[in-house]
Amino acid sequence: MTQTWVVEPAHWSAKTQATLYGAASLLGLLFLWIAATSIFGWIDPRVLPSPFEIALRFADLLVDPFGGATLLGHVLGSLKRWGLGVVTAAILGVPVGVLFAWAPLFRAVVNPVFEILRYIPPFAWVPIAILWFGASTMTQAMVVFIAAFPAIVINSQLGVQQVEKILLDAARVYGAGSLRTLRRVVMPVAAPTIYTGIRIAVSNGWMALVGAELIVGKNGLGFLISQGQNNDSVSTIFVGIISIGILGLLIDTIVQRSEKILLPWRGRLDQAGGI
Amino acid sequence: MELRNITKRFGNENDGVLAVDDCTIEVQKGEFICVVGPSGCGKSTLLTVAAGLERPTRGEVVVEGKPAGPPGPKRCVVFQKFALFPSETVAQNIKFGLQMARVDVVEQERLLREQLEIMGLEQFRNAYPSELSGGMQQRVAIARALVMRPDILLMDEPFGALDAQTRTILQEEIQRLHREQQYTVMFITHSVEEAVYLGDRVIVMTRRPGRIKEEIVLSRDAAWKQGDIEAAAEHSDFIEARRKIWALVREEIVAR
Repeated sequence: MTQTWVVEPAHWSAKTQATLYGAASLLGLLFLWIAATSIFGWIDPRVLPSPFEIALRFADLLVDPFGGATLLGHVLGSLKRWGLGVVTAAILGVPVGVLFAWAPLFRAVVNPVFEILRYIPPFAWVPIAILWFGASTMTQAMVVFIAAFPAIVINSQLGVQQVEKILLDAARVYGAGSLRTLRRVVMPVAAPTIYTGIRIAVSNGWMALVGAELIVGKNGLGFLISQGQNNDSVSTIFVGIISIGILGLLIDTIVQRSEKILLPWRGRLDQAGGI
Repeated sequence: MELRNITKRFGNENDGVLAVDDCTIEVQKGEFICVVGPSGCGKSTLLTVAAGLERPTRGEVVVEGKPAGPPGPKRCVVFQKFALFPSETVAQNIKFGLQMARVDVVEQERLLREQLEIMGLEQFRNAYPSELSGGMQQRVAIARALVMRPDILLMDEPFGALDAQTRTILQEEIQRLHREQQYTVMFITHSVEEAVYLGDRVIVMTRRPGRIKEEIVLSRDAAWKQGDIEAAAEHSDFIEARRKIWALVREEIVAR
């Protein structure tokens, strides 16, 4: 308890300091941008519009449909495809990764195929996906899936492999069979590593989605950007880009926070200062 | 429990490592057996074989006249590194074996409370292992074993990872528990002092390949067993037993 008293203030101020520096850096960048565009006019607005112009365009797009939908419509479209791809990747990827670690025979059979497939970039699949599914939600979801799947498999396998043998021994001694050991000991202990895989998959999937939407589709943030390009609307492109960045950050934050809720013993571990 | 002619070889017949060679140990009900030997002598291997976690290359493990078979809660193991389930609370860890055995929920709770009280863990019931000190974690591990009312408790250098003060206190508690509840224990240690303090019988093993070098029977009612290990060191017969066993272990360590 006494230790808490000594450590906490320093800990907090360091964190606050970092936040302040971060905010200052972002504000500085914004100011520089305003200066270069609105105040001094160093940069042609067709190359880089001012933040005010982008903000106005943002407000426009919230209300007026562009490229078939309002900004919210594009965001929801993107989130839907992304969610479909990532959730499918998690539903299939976690069991595959666990089996890789748990069932050597399964691994021997499936791993070579997996290893070859995972070195094919997601976008190489776009033409095939179009051929199979047309310009539909499924096409982009498939690209997201391909981008997200390997990280989940690899981290699930890693997480399960990292479970100490002594814990498995203990589970056996206290009467747990394979399935109950998997459920009560292996999965919870592997969960943080699996979670890391999901976090990577979430961001890989998000990036692949926008790429896929640029190439094919009738809706979504990537599509919005390509429409901006076709209509010579640089500010639309920037609204798209900034929305993608902010949404990506938001998604990652949500995933990170949910880990603390889903794995309470990890959260308390962090407070206790690690293992 | 009986270990009959246990031989354990890792790897193949020619270039494998012979860890344990033809060890026979008989543990009577209620007896506290300590196995000492130089590090790497195969005493821990002997324990994993006794637990059923490793199959012996030759020989068999017999419990109450029958082959012991796969590991199970009749032969509970307390590991040196505790091996608590990190994602479960103290209460969940202790109940683990009971739940696997599908013990009635009300009974589970009763046995848990009893065990928490015996081990002095009541206030840590909902803590996670990572929030506890090493000594407390090992208390939980011991509680997790005792709650199963095992035929035999197999302890693999359980205090090896603890600091000296915590170790002294836990040794005393184990001594007291054994005296009051008559547990059957096979206790692996490299500390001669610990073996003499705790054991009714001390088995000295040779260096690898581990064979049984000698068995020393100690009086269960020895005066030194009533107090803590510090007080024990003031009894001349304790010192004598310790000296004798240490001489045997030392021979194995320095032998060429």
